[in-house]
Amino acid sequence: MKKPLAFLKRDLLIEVSYRFSFVFQVVSIILSIASYYFLARFIGSSLIPGLDAYGGDYFAFVLIGVALYDYLATSLDAFSRSIRESQLAGTMEALLSTQTSLSTVILSSSAYPFLWTSFGVVLYLVLGVGLFGVQLTSGNWAAAALILILAVIVFSGLGILSASFIMVFKRGSPIAWLFGGVSWLLGGVLYPVTVLPEWLQQVSALLPITYAIEGMRAALLRAAPWPELWGSLGPLLLFAFAIIPLSLLSFQYATRHTRIAGTLAQY
Amino acid sequence: MTTTAIVVHNLTKRFPVRRRWRETIIRPFHQRWMTALDGVDLDVRQGEVLGLLGPNGAGKTTLLKILCTLLLPTGGRAAVNGHDVVEAPRRARRAVGYCLDTERSFYYRLTGMQNLAFFATLNNLGSREATTRIAEVLGMVGLNGDAGDPFMTYSKGMQQKLGLGRALLTDPGVLLLDEPTKSLDPGAAIEFRRFLRTTLAERLGKTILLVTHSLEEARECCDRVAIMDQGRISFQGTWPEVQGFIHTHGFPGHSPDGVL
Repeated sequence: MKKPLAFLKRDLLIEVSYRFSFVFQVVSIILSIASYYFLARFIGSSLIPGLDAYGGDYFAFVLIGVALYDYLATSLDAFSRSIRESQLAGTMEALLSTQTSLSTVILSSSAYPFLWTSFGVVLYLVLGVGLFGVQLTSGNWAAAALILILAVIVFSGLGILSASFIMVFKRGSPIAWLFGGVSWLLGGVLYPVTVLPEWLQQVSALLPITYAIEGMRAALLRAAPWPELWGSLGPLLLFAFAIIPLSLLSFQYATRHTRIAGTLAQY
Repeated sequence: MTTTAIVVHNLTKRFPVRRRWRETIIRPFHQRWMTALDGVDLDVRQGEVLGLLGPNGAGKTTLLKILCTLLLPTGGRAAVNGHDVVEAPRRARRAVGYCLDTERSFYYRLTGMQNLAFFATLNNLGSREATTRIAEVLGMVGLNGDAGDPFMTYSKGMQQKLGLGRALLTDPGVLLLDEPTKSLDPGAAIEFRRFLRTTLAERLGKTILLVTHSLEEARECCDRVAIMDQGRISFQGTWPEVQGFIHTHGFPGHSPDGVL
């Protein structure tokens, strides 16, 4: 844990040294929560078909969707950004001439982005419950925690896959484009998947975020029991078994390729 | 008995040449290669300072990057303190301290101390050991009083010193220095050479592979000098021998007149 902590400290020190930006990041989180709250008040709950299945509160519904999407966005971005930033700043070779492997460097570099996202999500929940009256107290919290862990593992696999593309091609990852954009549209972040046409619902069934959001809403908004949650946990486990080995293999290949081609530090 | 710290045998490195769009479309599976190292043989003895001279693009930095495992060789063998850079890269890395182009290899907004503490952790130093070692290397390179200042406020000379301090953190037996005096003013360069020769080489007994473009630096600091040209070692010997070679054959890419 010493190395992830060292990266965390490095990133925290750099972030807080940009004081104005740091304050604005916190303010941005509060503003986005407020905008979802007023959106929820404006459109009302009765207009959305299928919302009753999630307790009928659109604000709580969207809060969970956005929180999980934030984790997906962080996973897709953090690993490849750590590579790109090290290449641009010129620190990549210095990092890799230490006694730390590239995979540890990349994984540890994501510690701060994940911590920041988690801080944002906690702020979502605290403000949601404290200021805007979201009811989460009776939720199945153990299941929610398990879904979150599985979701972060699967999303991280996608992020590492995306970082492999960045290692080799430097810019433009199809994984980030595909899963980032399509998940926002079809993953059920802002509306239930059931409002989509049948064929798009079939596409959304191929996205890990669909199961993560569905399971998380069921666990937190309806306190769904464990047997009911297997419909989300099962697919997330399958995604994890498929994506993690694939992402590690692709990353290994990308690392070897760049060490042969001499493009490790190029951007 | 003198042992060999760096062994390089028949080392080759080829890089794929970046293709133009037209070439990529017309011949998508055809790859051209550029040879950066072409059968390099080189031995550096324990405690020896070996200078690598040569024109730009001769393969000097490529050789250093292979020795510190940043690059994989295409063929041949290289080992540091007996550890093969391909088969035992971690052990090879542990044996070397690499001082690369330092200006962009530190975090600008962190202090010198914070930068060194970060790299000490990455080099597996425990916190107590790191604290002691950082104080030692800061004293050694003369940055004690500036360690609390942000790296972005450092002069080129101070940046170079911090880079050397980082390379010394793990007290490695072998130092790979890539043009360490490149951006130093003449006074700082003289001071740096003196430090390299008297402290690092003579007092601490480090084995040093020094890439330089300065004949003066090679003469002052090195026990032996190797001249690289087009990926090959074209000559190696003591300074007087190298001087004789340059007088007769000229420096690679130049006529014998007016080099020395």
